[in-house]
Amino acid sequence: MSTSAGDTLEWLAGPFPDDPGIDRKALAGLLVELARNVEPQLRAEPTEVRPVDPRLEQLRTLLVGHEIEVLSRLSEIVDDPEQLAVAVGRVLPTAIAQVSSDARLGEVLAPALEKATQSSIRSDPRTLLNILYPLIVPAIRKSIGETIDETFQSFNESLKHSLTLRGLRWRWEAWRTGTSFAEVVLKHTLVYRVEHVFLIHSHTGLLISHVAAENASGQDPQLVSSMLVAIQDFVRDSFSGAEHQGLDTVRFGEFWLWSEPGPFATLVAVIRGNPPEGLHEQLRSVLSRIHEERPHALESFDGDSSGFADVEAHLSECVALGQRAPRSTERGFPWLVAVVGLLLLALAGAGGLRWWQNQRTWENERQLQEAKQQIWDGYIERLRAQPGIVITEAGRRDGKFLVSGLRDPLAVDPQALLSQAGIDPASVVSHWQPYQGLDPVFVLKRLEASLTPPPTVTLALEGDHIVAEGSAPSTWIERARTAGRMLPAGGPALDLSRLRDVNEGAIGKLSQAIRSRTIHFNVNEPLPAPGQDAILDQLATELNELASLASTMHVAARVTLTGHSDDTGTGTFNLSLSLARAEAVRALLKKRGVDPDLLAVRGAGQLEPLQTAPSEAARSANRRITFKVGIEEQR
Amino acid sequence: MTATLQKKICMLGGFSVGKTSLVKRYVQSIFSETYLTTVGVKIDKKAVDLSDRIVNLILWDLAGEDDISSLRMSYLRGSAGYVLVADGTRPSTLEVALSLRRRVEVDFGPLPFVLLLNKNDLREQWAVGEEEVESLRRSGWWVQSTSARTGEGVEDAFRALAVRVAR
Repeated sequence: MSTSAGDTLEWLAGPFPDDPGIDRKALAGLLVELARNVEPQLRAEPTEVRPVDPRLEQLRTLLVGHEIEVLSRLSEIVDDPEQLAVAVGRVLPTAIAQVSSDARLGEVLAPALEKATQSSIRSDPRTLLNILYPLIVPAIRKSIGETIDETFQSFNESLKHSLTLRGLRWRWEAWRTGTSFAEVVLKHTLVYRVEHVFLIHSHTGLLISHVAAENASGQDPQLVSSMLVAIQDFVRDSFSGAEHQGLDTVRFGEFWLWSEPGPFATLVAVIRGNPPEGLHEQLRSVLSRIHEERPHALESFDGDSSGFADVEAHLSECVALGQRAPRSTERGFPWLVAVVGLLLLALAGAGGLRWWQNQRTWENERQLQEAKQQIWDGYIERLRAQPGIVITEAGRRDGKFLVSGLRDPLAVDPQALLSQAGIDPASVVSHWQPYQGLDPVFVLKRLEASLTPPPTVTLALEGDHIVAEGSAPSTWIERARTAGRMLPAGGPALDLSRLRDVNEGAIGKLSQAIRSRTIHFNVNEPLPAPGQDAILDQLATELNELASLASTMHVAARVTLTGHSDDTGTGTFNLSLSLARAEAVRALLKKRGVDPDLLAVRGAGQLEPLQTAPSEAARSANRRITFKVGIEEQR
Repeated sequence: MTATLQKKICMLGGFSVGKTSLVKRYVQSIFSETYLTTVGVKIDKKAVDLSDRIVNLILWDLAGEDDISSLRMSYLRGSAGYVLVADGTRPSTLEVALSLRRRVEVDFGPLPFVLLLNKNDLREQWAVGEEEVESLRRSGWWVQSTSARTGEGVEDAFRALAVRVAR
């Protein structure tokens, strides 16, 4: 130290602004003590230290002037909240980074952060939604993707056992192309086309971009997009939905309208046909990409749609989406294809079980038809075996059985036979032409019908002959003989050889006896000559016997009494005389108990003389009654 | 699509002031008027050719009701401007238009608009005072008397609004 202790003290004690923060006296004492230790001669000198010494202050400035400046600047910062905030803010990230491994930081901050988030959501949920959108959408996409994959797999499993022909074909295709079976099924069964895609500014409802598929018809897209937004608003207002709820799916006739909302823009797709659920995912993915690429352009969209060419490229991707049915190149018919697609889907959905059921049903039906056919064949067989029926055609047409041919009227009734066979007559169409068959049975029947044989006669079939047996009047036998001769050649013949003429039996003998009787008369007398009562009695007996015999033999007997006269007198007189003689005899016989119906009378006059000689003996023989017996069929 | 500017415009006015018929002949329209009664809004398009570009005014014709509270304010969201329509023969409809404007201003802030006093072909029944219109004009309003029947003033009104919203 070059300055003397006295100088220093002088300087310290110099005039200086008063500083209450420092005990100057104590400081001065300390300095004097220090000086005495350095310079022992000073110890002897009495030292006066004044309470206010400017030199002391000078020393302080020398020693701690810089620190004071720093401290005052610090205290200024600490005292001013704004400056303090700036300063802390500057180091806060580093500080947090430093203690980030400390678990307490998280614990301390969590309640505050929760409160902050809650209040943010309360004030405007869209902010947080917009923040989270880029995170949520991929997460949801991933989740949905996985779900769809799972669905595919289970779908795959459930279809695995469907062994339809189509199923097998698709399975082959899946194996060949290396895709899953379900994808192939969907590919074949879903037919749809994205026809229009609108990107609509959510806030104004103005159209940002629109892409339409080739040949797709549509109205002014600007108007359509605004109206879509209006309808969304309308639905939301009407059903008091939340801000971001709205119509996401609308179906109108053959179209689907799918709306995928984003933070700033909504993507609306108009889809014709039957879109798969996975299409939602594809549309959302496109919307999400558009938002990622052009968030600011979308947010600040003011109606100027130029400069969205890249967005249009994204939308074109959507429009390219679709599944055309094979060979559906014709315009204007995609709906036919869609309907067919749906039908295919319905069929495929029913699965193999259904197919098997159908197969079984078809099998049952086939068996039923076969059984019916068998019954029918059996019926036709029986019908063929029937006499008097000739089948010319039998078969099936339009689900009905058909039979036609010739039928003898005497043959069995085919309808009756149908019922016996258990066939519904309504299912049968038959045409029969009448004819006469030569079957011996029918010939016999026909003979029986036309000849009406007496009860004493039986007609029977023996081999290929019809044989008549019994006895019959000769008239009937004559008729039968004629009929036998009329029978068609090649058919059975009528054999009458065993038929006896009734006249050949007892009745014939009796007739012979009656015929041999004669009653004689005197000249001009209508009554029989006396002495002939015994003959008349005998005659009556014979006639009664004849009547009873005819009755038992089922024949009609008729006895004619013919009166005769001699040739004296006029012919007219003789005629009436002869008739009177016949009447007289009938009366006499009637008197003897003979049925007068059995007896017929006639007068022959002189025209049928017994003897023609001109002698009295001859004349006497001619005056007589003769008897004639006829045995006939019973009427 | 021609490079154009689109702007959403709402048509507001009391009951039966002739909003719909006012624009009918001058706009491109694909929706029937039943939308107005069912959905409560019908959308038409009016293209205005400003020398440098074409502005497509997408007109949201809101169902006219004298009861302002029934107005679906959600339809006004995102509007670039609006058209107020009143019936010049019925001063009450002008009142409705003024209150509609106040309502819109509260919810959406100041937006460009034009006020149309319709049915000016019925001059003898005209009931809105000239001085009232003048005072509105003085306060910066763009007021135009129009006729849906003759078409007078309609094109001018759309042009004026297009200029304002396209600025």
